[in-house]
Amino acid sequence: MRIEASGARGRTCKGIDHELLAAFMTLALLPGCGADTTDGGAAGGSEGGGARTAAGDAPGTGPDNGSGWFTDVAEDAGLHFVHFNGMSGEFYFPEIMPPGVGLLDFDDDGDLDVYLVQGRLLGTGTTLDEALFPPPEASPLSGRLYRNDLTVQADGARTLRFTDVTDESGIDARGYGMGVATGDVDNDGRVDLYLTNLGPNQLFRNDGDGTFSDVSRQSGLDDPGWGVSAAFVDYDRDGWLDLYVGNYVDYAIEADQECPSETGRVGYCVPQVYRAQPDRLFRNRGDGSFVEVTASALASTTPGPALGVATADFDGDGWPDIYVANDGEENQLWMNRRDGTLVDAGLVSGTALNANGAAEGSMGVDAGDFDNDGDEDLFMTHLTTETNTLYVNDGNGMFEDRSALSGLGPPSLAATGFGTAWLDFDNDGWLDVLTVNGRVSRTEERANEPFPYDQPRQLFRNLADGRFEDVTGRAGAVFSVSEVGRGAAFGDVDNDGDIDVLIGNDSGRVRLLVNRAESTHHWLGLRLVGGAEAPRDMLGARVEVARSDGTTLWRRARADGSYGSANDPRVHVGLGDAAAVPRVRVHWPSGQVEEWNDVAIDRWTTLTEGTGR
Amino acid sequence: MTPSHRLAMPAPPRSRCCAALHHGLLAWALTTAMSGCTAEPRAPATEESVPNAPDGQALRPTPLPDLSDMTPAVRDQIRERYAALTAAIERADEAGPLSEAYGAMGNVLAAARYVDAPEPFYRNAQALAPGDKRWPYYLGHLYTTRGAFAEAAVAFEQALALQPDDVPTLISLGEVHLEQGRPAAAEPLLTQALALQPGSVWARIGLGRAALTRQDYRQAAEHLEEALAVDPEAADIHYPLGLAYRGLGEMERAEAHLQQRDSGTVRQPDPLMRVMRQSLESPSTYEREGIQALGNGDWDAAAAAFRRGIELAPENPSLHHRLGTTLFMMGNEREGRARFEEALRVSPEYAQAHYSLGLLLEGEGRFEEALHRFSTAVRHEPSYVEARVRVARLLRRMGRPNEALAEYDRVIAADPQGPEARFGYAMTLVLLGRYQEARERLEAGTTSYPDQAMFRKALARLLSAAPDARARDGQRALALVQELLAQERSFDLGEAMAMALAEVGQYAEAASWQREVMSMAAQAGRDDLVQSMAGNLRLYERGEPSRTPWRDDEMP
Repeated sequence: MRIEASGARGRTCKGIDHELLAAFMTLALLPGCGADTTDGGAAGGSEGGGARTAAGDAPGTGPDNGSGWFTDVAEDAGLHFVHFNGMSGEFYFPEIMPPGVGLLDFDDDGDLDVYLVQGRLLGTGTTLDEALFPPPEASPLSGRLYRNDLTVQADGARTLRFTDVTDESGIDARGYGMGVATGDVDNDGRVDLYLTNLGPNQLFRNDGDGTFSDVSRQSGLDDPGWGVSAAFVDYDRDGWLDLYVGNYVDYAIEADQECPSETGRVGYCVPQVYRAQPDRLFRNRGDGSFVEVTASALASTTPGPALGVATADFDGDGWPDIYVANDGEENQLWMNRRDGTLVDAGLVSGTALNANGAAEGSMGVDAGDFDNDGDEDLFMTHLTTETNTLYVNDGNGMFEDRSALSGLGPPSLAATGFGTAWLDFDNDGWLDVLTVNGRVSRTEERANEPFPYDQPRQLFRNLADGRFEDVTGRAGAVFSVSEVGRGAAFGDVDNDGDIDVLIGNDSGRVRLLVNRAESTHHWLGLRLVGGAEAPRDMLGARVEVARSDGTTLWRRARADGSYGSANDPRVHVGLGDAAAVPRVRVHWPSGQVEEWNDVAIDRWTTLTEGTGR
Repeated sequence: MTPSHRLAMPAPPRSRCCAALHHGLLAWALTTAMSGCTAEPRAPATEESVPNAPDGQALRPTPLPDLSDMTPAVRDQIRERYAALTAAIERADEAGPLSEAYGAMGNVLAAARYVDAPEPFYRNAQALAPGDKRWPYYLGHLYTTRGAFAEAAVAFEQALALQPDDVPTLISLGEVHLEQGRPAAAEPLLTQALALQPGSVWARIGLGRAALTRQDYRQAAEHLEEALAVDPEAADIHYPLGLAYRGLGEMERAEAHLQQRDSGTVRQPDPLMRVMRQSLESPSTYEREGIQALGNGDWDAAAAAFRRGIELAPENPSLHHRLGTTLFMMGNEREGRARFEEALRVSPEYAQAHYSLGLLLEGEGRFEEALHRFSTAVRHEPSYVEARVRVARLLRRMGRPNEALAEYDRVIAADPQGPEARFGYAMTLVLLGRYQEARERLEAGTTSYPDQAMFRKALARLLSAAPDARARDGQRALALVQELLAQERSFDLGEAMAMALAEVGQYAEAASWQREVMSMAAQAGRDDLVQSMAGNLRLYERGEPSRTPWRDDEMP
């Protein structure tokens, strides 16, 4: 036997050395505060040449003349909402992170309603007078629910009109809001609302009559951490939606850290200054309550500061997996072991780090089959000085970073991306990418502006050969507006067969980008609901769409992904040059596979589990 | 040089406040005013005084950025550079010295993390000295930082035209191509760099990355293995190498390399960038430099960097704390402790300093004082998990196991995935004589945390020597220790092996292992261990098993 002489030592002074160093290293060997202050940007104005807007700007400040593919209609449609981040010049870390936004059909009338996250004043003893950007006087500081009163004329003309129904809905969300997740937790066919906060999260049960009940405590989902993104997913396939809550860092105002830049100017910290807060997995008991199964279901891992969560079946085994985008730490890919547990395969799958082996500041994330090969690929947004990252799935849950080759990486290096999604904005049958951007640290050039974090959003079109083209310049005037973009929810808000985008801006106005790309391509719209026992949107269901040209598209129902936001749970499929859909096959989360041969195109259709072949 | 070689300034901002108000930028002015603006260096600024380059082209305007709110020491350095540039212009210096002055100003701004402001200074430096490759080189890096890869490539190509055999430029240009997904353009540059500098790890890594991008996993593995052979400590190589082996289907090798991953350990020697970075002294720079030195085990360099940072920012608790840790690592406990205390003087709520002092006090056996420090750290930072674990552990050591269990419970509730509290909880159960429960907890730990050997090590001892027969399982203990010994050799495991052998009745072998471990401990000067292990040796020699999983004060 050989024993290293330096092996086991008692608790000696040397032992203390190591502990001190370990304690030190925990906080020391981290990127310095304000780590992305070397980011690109333009001096003395907005970045990327955009027209800058900030809280308090007049409605519709954006130079939107209606040209281009997307037009902002938020103000005209009645979404009079300005986010308030509660900043008073102290650089409290949470100020720079919200808000998420949500699209959900809470009244089940067939169109998407809107939920908007609101903040509140931060700091002990501070008053609204001290806020750098005080909220409009008439604006109550609580999350808002807007009902969509869409009207469609006989000629197909559509008018979007939103009505603030928060007060009558019973939703009382006065916490410091971060994000939204949606799902029908009690299988009654009515979508429920989960809100992540800096502080206890809230679950509002949809009572089906336009009102909600706060069941946060009864449900056991009032997680007290700093939640940002959450995802409903039936990970154990028992027919009930479970919940994954991505938590960010341990934070308390009284323990707020000061983070000077290279020049000593104070700014917002990087998350590594704080300790990452563990995420939580809650299993739905089916009786209105949830039990936390984090320790037993998620095999050991180091907690990461989670900002984005996307669920999908990444290895094609029929069981949902969970991808977690962590800010500046290794991302996690929780692969479902089909026995109630999940194991983190991020590293070996190639999705924990970028191609260079570096952990990136991951914010928003989405899974989708961008190359139409039948598996779920991953796209996520990152800090300036890092590119956004595209991980291409080989079909077995092994991924390759093709950010540079795809063309998605280089144009994103100067942007800090948050909300994002795969969307086929032009219905050509190939998933494109949209990102909303906004810095988290100031450039030295703009260090004396009160909130100089704005950046324009970006749109990338899929060229159908594994590469993307930056088409931001053609996307519409609203894409040259520079704002502090955070959450983004994607869905067909006006039910006209293309994807619109709801955007939450930190300390700024909400934007609703209506898609007016006027594509000549056909489309397929599917709402996938369970049978009588669970007549809800079947999140995670996969759709195999055979087109008349012989090719097949794979899409899935999801409300999660992006950043702190809830998407349209329906499945939108651009059909490209195909003029018909001979077959639609649905792979339900239950494992059942059904087929339909007569689904109409260019309209929204509901497919119910158990009614196909 | 003619008198027309003067800086072109858009306005004479003798005072930023005044300039801002003059232009009616009220909000901006108020912000600036609150930060206390002071007069900037005087600079000539008439339109007719636009300087010219030797080719007759007018130089670019080079306004001094707003410097308000900066650490005074940093602001002063930037001002000094600007004043030197202004003086050079006023002296009508020759193109060479003036180019240097512009370039130096560009460097100090770049070092201060300005991303736009340095450009006109570098451009003017380049215009005045078109044969100097430094200025396009710096511009290339500036554009890379901004993500302006096309401009970066042009700038690096200009630098390369001036010095075709410059390895950092070849590699920088190659990397710009790689960032744009152009491995074919990158490879010749990296190959040339490697030919010029055969020991360049960075060039080999670049070639490996290029091959990976082309999905030529075999060639990627070859390049990266060569890089690893040149520098076995370069942990950056393991991740791409792991991916290369994964691509080749060699999963075992892939995982072995992926597990050894790290990033930022390899730095391409780049004298010019070092000059740029060193052109500005700031507390942050020194803090980062110190951290890097500490990571490399260079205590002297770390201490020097932290001390210099403190000179620039004496009220920065983090710098004091880092210096204290470094000094302690150097064996200077007294001054280390003083630095922790200084950190608390400038910031009484600095939890990390309370924690570090707690560790020192615990090491000295001053448990009550240590407990107070850990508890104070928790009070100031309730989410400080390590401090909470320390509180619980200390309560256990102080003979207050039930309070320890309650504290561990609180940590587990707050951090359900953390192994330390779960382990501590199990060990506290051992202390309470609740061996079966402890065994269950440790077994759960081995399942939940397969990479945390502490659970298996502790379980092996408990299975071997628990006083409660229901908690023992000698065969299982033996298997566990054998498995652990395949990965690690230590006194602790050697003694655990002896315990397990005794529990299955192999007393002679147990005694042999125990003697061997004692002999090794003696060679290592660990007489304390030799003495404490003698008791079990006597038991084994008498044909008796141990019933003491851990001796006093040896419980982990």
